[in-house]
Amino acid sequence: MMSATTKLDHVSEHGIKLLVDGFYAKVRRDPELAPIFLRAIPGDWGPHLNKMYAFWSSVMLTSGRYKGNPVVKHMAIPNIKPALFERWLALFNETSTELFDDAVSAEFQVRAARIAESLQLALFYRPDRPWPPQAAT
Amino acid sequence: MTFVVTDNCIRCKYMDCVEVCPVDCFYEGDNMLVINPDECIDCGVCEPECPAEAIFPDTQPGLEDWVKLNGQYAAVWPNITIKRDAPDDAKAFDGVANKLEQYFSANPGQGD
Repeated sequence: MMSATTKLDHVSEHGIKLLVDGFYAKVRRDPELAPIFLRAIPGDWGPHLNKMYAFWSSVMLTSGRYKGNPVVKHMAIPNIKPALFERWLALFNETSTELFDDAVSAEFQVRAARIAESLQLALFYRPDRPWPPQAAT
Repeated sequence: MTFVVTDNCIRCKYMDCVEVCPVDCFYEGDNMLVINPDECIDCGVCEPECPAEAIFPDTQPGLEDWVKLNGQYAAVWPNITIKRDAPDDAKAFDGVANKLEQYFSANPGQGD
């Protein structure tokens, strides 16, 4: 467990790597998310982790390191549903809070929440149905 | 939600946005760029990169027509992911009012 004084106070490639590694370690132990991710990534996680370092580097450091189409990638996942995004965000927020000070973790969390919302709109929004989706459906 | 390119991009077209966009969702017209709302993941990286301050979140009120224009032309203009030089007179047009009526071109740009 990290003490408050050792939390990272700025975004760096190193901090992003710690965040991504810590987050996906939690994902792999999570009863809801693990089956989805293990089905999508059955073998070596190295390439996925590298892609995620690049993604968050692009988003937080504007490095342009990631180029891809996450909407299409998520559309290809069987049984994807809004509750999984909630769980994803909960684990992501937990990990970022553990690693970074309040200001920096908030920056990550605001971006993550917006990206999650936007992916969900792309995946689930239908003009004839209420948005956000009802919890029970 | 998505980000949208608005009036001040027209004839400025600095293209700094296309380099930082992680999802390659910019499309190039003859004299402006637009964002494909179906591909934008709302990460917001492009907004502060725009020297013309022409990019805004669609949650900002009053942008409905620009949201429509972005979607409409993203469907027909070519994708652009590699920055080229801005037009020579870009600076002169930066900040000019109502460029849509005066200068907008519906023609496609050259793309990548």
